[in-house]
Amino acid sequence: MEELNKKRKIIIDPVTRIEGHAKITIDIDEDGVVDDARIHVTQFRGFEKICEGRLYTEMPAMTSRTCGICPVSHAISSTKACDEILAITPPQAGINIRKIVNLAQILQSHTLNFYHLSAPDFVYGFDAKKEDRNIFKMIQTHPDMAKDGIKLRAFGQEIIETLGGKRIHPDWIVPGGMSHCMTKEQKNKILNQIPQAMEIAKKTIEYFTNNLHKFKKEIDSFATFPSLFMSLVNKKGNLEHYDGLLKFIDADGKVLEENINPSDYKKYIGEAVEKDSFLKSPYYKPFGYETGMYRVGALARLNIAKFCGTSLADEFFEKFKNINNGKPILNSFYYHYARLIEMIYCIEKIEEILNDPLTMNPQIRAHAEVNSTKGVGCSEAPRGTLFHDYVVSKDGIIEKMNLIIATGNNNLAMNAGVKQVAQTFVDGNNITDGALNRVEAVIRCFDPCLSCSTHAMGVVSSKIDIRDTNKNIIRSIIRS
Amino acid sequence: MRYVIGYGNELRVEDAFGFDVVSKLDSKDLTNIKILSLYQLTPEIVLDLLDADEVIFIDALYSIENKYAIACSLYEHTKDSLSLTHHISYKVIIHMLNNLYDRFPKYEVYSMLTNNFEKAGDTAKYKKSIDQVVNHLTRKLK
Repeated sequence: MEELNKKRKIIIDPVTRIEGHAKITIDIDEDGVVDDARIHVTQFRGFEKICEGRLYTEMPAMTSRTCGICPVSHAISSTKACDEILAITPPQAGINIRKIVNLAQILQSHTLNFYHLSAPDFVYGFDAKKEDRNIFKMIQTHPDMAKDGIKLRAFGQEIIETLGGKRIHPDWIVPGGMSHCMTKEQKNKILNQIPQAMEIAKKTIEYFTNNLHKFKKEIDSFATFPSLFMSLVNKKGNLEHYDGLLKFIDADGKVLEENINPSDYKKYIGEAVEKDSFLKSPYYKPFGYETGMYRVGALARLNIAKFCGTSLADEFFEKFKNINNGKPILNSFYYHYARLIEMIYCIEKIEEILNDPLTMNPQIRAHAEVNSTKGVGCSEAPRGTLFHDYVVSKDGIIEKMNLIIATGNNNLAMNAGVKQVAQTFVDGNNITDGALNRVEAVIRCFDPCLSCSTHAMGVVSSKIDIRDTNKNIIRSIIRS
Repeated sequence: MRYVIGYGNELRVEDAFGFDVVSKLDSKDLTNIKILSLYQLTPEIVLDLLDADEVIFIDALYSIENKYAIACSLYEHTKDSLSLTHHISYKVIIHMLNNLYDRFPKYEVYSMLTNNFEKAGDTAKYKKSIDQVVNHLTRKLK
């Protein structure tokens, strides 16, 4: 083919089976070798500007609209920022209910990623026919697995609805605590469903670990490289999603910085902007842009935590840690494994908090006026560490806002991962569907959530344009 | 049991069509009907529909032509049937009910054609479209 002697660019737009819209470009040189590859987040959100001039009390509801799948995370970080503006600590029952709702959201989000977005690759393989790599084929060949995914997600969503008011954009998480306390009937209803949820979660992790041997090449090349890691940990250094202090480690597990109050995040995190993406690129400030690339999310959390802190999750955690002899696991493919362990943890932790007598205390909310003009709220969202940073007037009007969305923290690592996979699997002279699927799949390891609430129109499929050096399209491939 | 599901985003102007129809229907004297308002159709909705004999979906459908017309069960308009993220199409819901739970409810889809999701459109025509569907369904479901 004539075009084989030219430099070309492959564009995958949009990337499929992720939350939100992005595209990938792959530059191929004259010899058909991948020269570069990047992910571009093509949706614009602009919440930091939209919120200026509004009352801080509106922020939990407004910022939740950033996302249709993790609105709880935004509500949690937002209300924590508001708590700082009020200069109060919510009553323990309010904190406990917030924690349960947050854990339920992590559970349902991880479930969705595994069963509905990633499982087709695990079940049928990355080279399977593209028409088979979807939930419909799963329904046909693995109906029990598809039902398990629905049941487990329903469990998480029902908790969010019961304790947060609604399944999507729950509005009972408020500055000062919660607006509704938990009834005994609600508590018992959730507790009664725990055995079934746990059975499914255990079955899922067993399925995954039993099939890991099939994916050695992907494990070795899906964003497998040294990087820093960041997450919250509790006082014992264990897994923490709601509160705690920030910790950075390097690729060898050496602690770079710990016991960081999230309010001081700007001392450690820089924010760069790339001209070809609306997603900002945070980095570890002491190391500078790009060298300070770090990863967040389930893999980072388990790499950093000493233990999970619940019995069954810790059994799996021990096996997970043994993969790299106790050192941080650098293979992003294991994000999937880490999410499955967190699913077990979430179920155990929900049960533990439900059985805490303090959770049923009717005192769930503290009331105050504006006592501080600054507030930073930080929590662990399903995809990583989430920051809400507000500056308000004395009357509580938002004057300045900065958000670091969990997915954004992984931007540099996702880009490096896309390049690594493209260079490993894409042959410019023989572009296969399996190779392009792997380029998308490395993104799915990170389970990015690219402003889901935008509700973009159109068919979710991939169009790959191969362009010459003058950006003329010389070949188009439609993938759906 | 018969279900009426209105779905869409109230904050996106006429994307609220499904919401507005079911909130009006809710005030009618309809029996043996369950009404659901949803931001999105999500996979676990199927568990709520296991006892459904009939499901009616109501939403807004992107179109730059024939704005405010009501499209009824025009399946070819829903090009996203194979898409799956955290929200899914009614076709996936029906597919799951049929193939996972052996449930085969009758179903219909009422969609108002519009592209007014960012700014206000013709309010009078919008209200007329709502009344049209509400009146039709009130007669049908009584």
